[in-house]
Amino acid sequence: MFNLELDKVIEEIQKRKPEQVLIQLPDGLKHRAAEIVDTIEDKTDVQIFILFGGTFGACDLPLGLNVLNIDLMIQWGHNRFHKEEW
Amino acid sequence: MRILFIEAKYEKPVYLTDNLRKYLKNKKTKSIALFASVQFSNLDNFIKEIEKLKIKVNITKAKRTSSVLQILGCDCYKDTFKVPIIEQSDLILYVGDGLFHPKALLLSQIKNEKIKPVIIYNPIAKDIRELTEKDIEQQLKKMKANLRKYLNAEKIGILVSIKPGQQYLALAKKLKEQLVKEGKKPYIFVDNTFDLNALENYPFIQCWVNTACPRIGTDDIINIEQPMINIREAFDPVKELEEFQ
Repeated sequence: MFNLELDKVIEEIQKRKPEQVLIQLPDGLKHRAAEIVDTIEDKTDVQIFILFGGTFGACDLPLGLNVLNIDLMIQWGHNRFHKEEW
Repeated sequence: MRILFIEAKYEKPVYLTDNLRKYLKNKKTKSIALFASVQFSNLDNFIKEIEKLKIKVNITKAKRTSSVLQILGCDCYKDTFKVPIIEQSDLILYVGDGLFHPKALLLSQIKNEKIKPVIIYNPIAKDIRELTEKDIEQQLKKMKANLRKYLNAEKIGILVSIKPGQQYLALAKKLKEQLVKEGKKPYIFVDNTFDLNALENYPFIQCWVNTACPRIGTDDIINIEQPMINIREAFDPVKELEEFQ
C-alpha cells in the first residue's frame, strides 16, 4: 500500500558504498522490516541493522550511532525536517 | 553518518469519494485549505476533482516541512504557514490517517477569534471525520491554567532535549538569564526523551518549561499534574495570556 522505493535504496547504497546501515521504520511499516532487509542484503554487501524502537519523526534521529560505526541511516515515512531556529 | 529519507508514499490514487463530495456541497464550501501527511501529499488529481465543484483549493508550505501541502505535528502555530490559508478558506481539509497532524491545524488557530473545524479524509478507510474546538477544549483550559501558574512560580525547571531536531539549549539559557533577572530560580534539566512521570522526582519545581517538541506543552500536559508550558510562551507569558482570551 505504501511505496518502500527499495530500488532507490539499493541504488543509493551502491553509490555511497556504506559498510553498515541502520534502517528506521514507523510502527505501521515495522512488519515489513524482514522484506526490506532481505531485499537489500540480497542485492548488496552491506550489513543491515533495524532500529528496534520508535521515533517521533525526522526531528528524532537516534543518537550515538557512531559507537556502532553506522555509515548510513535510512528512515521511512518521513522527509527532511526543517528545524525552527530562534 | 548520512541519512536517507524515504517518504513511503501511498501507492493508490486518492480520489474524491461521493461522501466527501456530498459533505463539501452540504457545507456550501467555496474554498478549502488543503493539507496532508507526506504519504498522501500527491494530490494533483484530487485537487482537480475538487476544483470541478467550483471550490478554490488553497495550499501552502508549513515552516518545518519539506513540501507544499504537508503538515507536521509541530506545525501548530499560526505563523508556521507561508500563506494564511486557514484564515482565507471556508473549510480546512486534511488528507491522511491519525489525529496527531490534523490536531496541529486546530492548535494553530487558538489565538484566532474562531477555531475552524478540521475535516479529516482518510483515503484508506475512505471515511470523513470532523475535529472541532471541542477536541482541544481540555488542552486549552490546561494551557491557560499553566500559564497562570508559570507567572506565579518561583522555581522553574527548563527541559532541554539532546535530540538534534529538538535541541534548544541556547534558548533555554536565554530564558534562564531572563528569569534570574526577574528574581526567579530556574534550573535546566537535560535528557533525550522526557519521561513525564519522572517530574515527580523534582517536587521543588513549581512550573516546567518544555523546549523540545511543542506538542508536549499542548497535548501531554493533559496527563500530568505538574504545570508545564512551552518555551515559546515563556518569555512573555502576560502577552500570551492576553492573546489567549
